[in-house]
Amino acid sequence: MASRRRKLLKIIILGDSGFVNKKFSNQYKATIGADFLTKELQFEDRLFTLQIWDTAGQERFQSLGVAFYRGADCCVLTYDVNVMKSFENLNRWRDEFLLQASPSDPDNFPFILLGNKVDVDNGSSRVVSEKKAKAWCMSKGNIPYFETSAKDGTNVEEAFMCIAKNAIKNEPEEEMYVPDTIDMTNRAHSQTSSGCEC
Amino acid sequence: MDVIIDEEKWLAEGIASVQQNAFYMLRAVDSDNLREALKYSAQMLSELRTSKLSPHKYFELYMRAFDELRKLELFFKDESRHGVHVSDLYELVQHAGNVLPRLYLLCTVGSVYMKSKEVSCKDILKDLVEMCRAVQHPIRGLFLRSYLCQVTRDKLPDIGSEYKGVGDSVLDAVDFVLQNFMEMNKLWVRLQHQGPAQVAEKREKERNELRDLVGKNLHILSQIEGVDLEMYRDTVLPKILEQVVNSKDELAQHYLMDCIIQVFPDEYHLQTLDILLAACPQLQPTVDIKTVLSQLMERLSNYAASSTEVSDHSLALLVSSFDTICLLTMSILQVLPEFLQVEAFAKLNNAIGKVIEAQIDMPIVGAITLYTSLLMFTLRVHPDRLDYVDLVLGACVRKLSGKPKLEDSRATKQIIALLSAPLDKYNDAVTALTLSNYPCIMDYLDNDTNKVMAMVIIQNILKNYTCISTADQVEALFELIKGLIRDIDESPGDELDEEDFKEEQNSVARLIHMLYNDDPDEMLKIICTVQRHIMTGGQRRLPFTVPPLVFSALKVNSLVRRLQGQDGEADGEEAPASPKQIFRLMNQTIEALSSVPSPDLALRLYLQCAEAASDCDLEPIAYEFFTQAFILYEEDIADSKAQFTAIHLIIGTLQRMAVFGVENRDTLTHKATGYSAKLLKKADQCRAVYACSHLFWVDEQDGIKDGERVLLCLKRSLRIANAAQQMANVTRGSSGPVTLFVEILNKYLYFFEKGNPKVTSSAIQGLVELIRTEMQSETSTPDQGTTAFFNSTLRYIQFQKQKGGLMGEKYDPVKL
Ligand SMILES: Nc1nc2c(ncn2[C@@H]2O[C@H](COP(=O)(O)OP(=O)(O)O)[C@@H](O)[C@H]2O)c(=O)[nH]1
Ligand SMILES: [Mg+2]
Repeated sequence: MASRRRKLLKIIILGDSGFVNKKFSNQYKATIGADFLTKELQFEDRLFTLQIWDTAGQERFQSLGVAFYRGADCCVLTYDVNVMKSFENLNRWRDEFLLQASPSDPDNFPFILLGNKVDVDNGSSRVVSEKKAKAWCMSKGNIPYFETSAKDGTNVEEAFMCIAKNAIKNEPEEEMYVPDTIDMTNRAHSQTSSGCEC
Repeated sequence: MDVIIDEEKWLAEGIASVQQNAFYMLRAVDSDNLREALKYSAQMLSELRTSKLSPHKYFELYMRAFDELRKLELFFKDESRHGVHVSDLYELVQHAGNVLPRLYLLCTVGSVYMKSKEVSCKDILKDLVEMCRAVQHPIRGLFLRSYLCQVTRDKLPDIGSEYKGVGDSVLDAVDFVLQNFMEMNKLWVRLQHQGPAQVAEKREKERNELRDLVGKNLHILSQIEGVDLEMYRDTVLPKILEQVVNSKDELAQHYLMDCIIQVFPDEYHLQTLDILLAACPQLQPTVDIKTVLSQLMERLSNYAASSTEVSDHSLALLVSSFDTICLLTMSILQVLPEFLQVEAFAKLNNAIGKVIEAQIDMPIVGAITLYTSLLMFTLRVHPDRLDYVDLVLGACVRKLSGKPKLEDSRATKQIIALLSAPLDKYNDAVTALTLSNYPCIMDYLDNDTNKVMAMVIIQNILKNYTCISTADQVEALFELIKGLIRDIDESPGDELDEEDFKEEQNSVARLIHMLYNDDPDEMLKIICTVQRHIMTGGQRRLPFTVPPLVFSALKVNSLVRRLQGQDGEADGEEAPASPKQIFRLMNQTIEALSSVPSPDLALRLYLQCAEAASDCDLEPIAYEFFTQAFILYEEDIADSKAQFTAIHLIIGTLQRMAVFGVENRDTLTHKATGYSAKLLKKADQCRAVYACSHLFWVDEQDGIKDGERVLLCLKRSLRIANAAQQMANVTRGSSGPVTLFVEILNKYLYFFEKGNPKVTSSAIQGLVELIRTEMQSETSTPDQGTTAFFNSTLRYIQFQKQKGGLMGEKYDPVKL
């Protein structure tokens, strides 16, 4: 029964290099708060809806916190291959994610790393080598790694396929919720204190 | 503390209830029971009616319900499972009891309805955005509307969107988002007026947490592809700004301006600068517009910089040989015509002026920060427009005028940033010297900051090897750095840090060396200008500044001589930059040191000048300098050590001077030997006197070779050594004198080899024996150093004897 409704996959994209945009634009348009796009995906006869969450890179546009991390099926970490700092920040992003999303099995939670913006200056301004990135992935339990460009589309499709596969693989036995023995059905009526009817 | 604990408890309860109702809801969904699913979803959503949670916590609860609603949405979509057509479903959910759950459900179904493409999106959007008005509680309303905005955003009628029905246009999408934005902004602003005044601070904090819900609308607008420049300029931006201005709320205005700048692309900003900037003066006076505008300028200048990146790099190689400014101008003109077209600078300048005018209470640091960012902008975008730079500085001067000197350290820091920017940009202080308002700003700095800035200027010149090559530039430069050149006010600052002072003055000294022009006339003007300035520096500075000036001036003389050599004419007397004139100037300059007083330094400089005069063949002048040096020696150098050093300098210089005729030379050497013999310590006397022997034997073609007087000196030094020996015997202990004999022996050997006929082999032999006796008879243990010195002298004699040839023959009579 459970499999009939579990067709939604929640994916969180984090890091200092933006990646998802409806359409690539060279011009910078800041993301505010958290924002998701949905993508339909056919995989082994089943239809999946990917819910892809993009986050604001500028901290001041993340005023409400990161409660949306919860329930993620896969976390995509991104960095800008042309900016060392963005690579150095990966640990922070990963730790923050594990802390806030608190997945049930943090050691085996699927992450994916994307080294983005490989198109810039035809790679001549690149500062983080593929080897270095792969070594990091290895140290974190062999995380899959892709070098991408949202601008020219390099590896984007491949990355999404891998993201979806990993998210599906992660599919846990439905988090069993056993209702409380106390009947709470009446709580909703007694708790509104504002006197407002809405 | 209790509040936090309570809040955690309420949140936990809310989550538990959401989970429980979601459980029943999903169970109903699994059995395709629509009615039950609706019932439990409404109960679940009722949890969002709480008023007890802060926005952060409310967001957590909201996200729980949000995730559950996605599953419900999938169920709604599947008509085959529940058998109700989506249009009926849209009616059905409106029967839920409470407003809030009902509207969440309606938005959810609405999203499915639009997705079905069976309805005009425009109508549904309009319907939903109106219906949501029913919730006027700020936090609940804001989250509900952010839900609306999230579930509709992929179905907005847009270019290329599959949901754009026949009657729908991009404008419908824009209207919808704008209306939602306005409603949310109202709720958000209104929140501040709720509750008692005591919790105002907490409310502001909450409002701050909620801000991204409002800003999100602007992000969505920026993502609508159909919003082209025209629509942005004519509809979107004016409407947003109207809302921003009318809200009359500091927090909202500051945040939303920031959002506008960040979410919309640079091109749009460039093309709508006037509209955006016109709004600034209309904002509340407390709004921190400077940060907002600085961010805008930062964005635009980054944009400009990124568009020139490639050409900048290759330019770097060329700048050393070409005019930097000229090249940069060309490259920027090529890549960035749009910046010039829109007159970005004029508009920004205008806007900043208005903002500063409107906000009378803005602290001075705010105004200066604004000007600094404007300056950065123009330096990056219009590096050729020095007039713009000066204009910005001029505006700053006007802002500062009539005010006392700045004391706020943040403001002075900003000024330093402002004044450093052109230096860093052009790496050429000469450029800064052409900015008429530059010195005016320096005048508003307090003494300390003024000095810091002067140091920045000097360091920049030194670092870049900037050539300051005209007297006018030098004049302007010294005017700028006058804080280091003289005491600005009465307090000569005894509180000054000695280290800092030294560092400053050493930098000034290094700077003086950088002032140079190949043309002697201009160079003389430079020297005169510098002299005029440093003479005002007072006794503490002169010892640092006079020497570099003297050496710079002496360089002019060698210049003149080189030119004379080229032209073949020798009328140095008439030209403006005649060596005579320079020496006259130097005489005055060095004389100033007597006020310090610094006789040692002055003496060295006089001797330096004397030697230079000798090189110029100016005997009377050289003589005059020597006279000055002697006067100093007699009157002002009292310490015996200093005297000894001075005598050696005098002897050394005099020995090299070829200019003197017999008479003058005799007078001077006579004096020098006289001084030598009068030194306080015997050992000093002895050494000075044997050094004098060199004054009578110059080992050059036409050099004087007076063997008789050489011998006189040597004999005299021997006598002094003897006297010293006797004194030592009396006082016992000291082993000095024998060393003196060995030193004198070495002088004998020198002149012997040079062919002085008065210095004979028998004299040498006698001296060797004398030393031997002295060493044996010495009462104290023989000094090791002296013994070694003597032994190696003997070895040398032995070596010369064995060498054979002329020298061997000469040494032959010396028997060891
Ligand atoms: N050249 C290049 N630019 C990229 C690529 N991916 C994203 N960008 C640019 O990076 C910026 C994305 O910003 P983002 O990180 O989303 O900003 P945030 O929303 O504030 O976090 C945009 O200006 C994109 O044009 C890429 O692969 N190549
Ligand atoms: Mg983004």
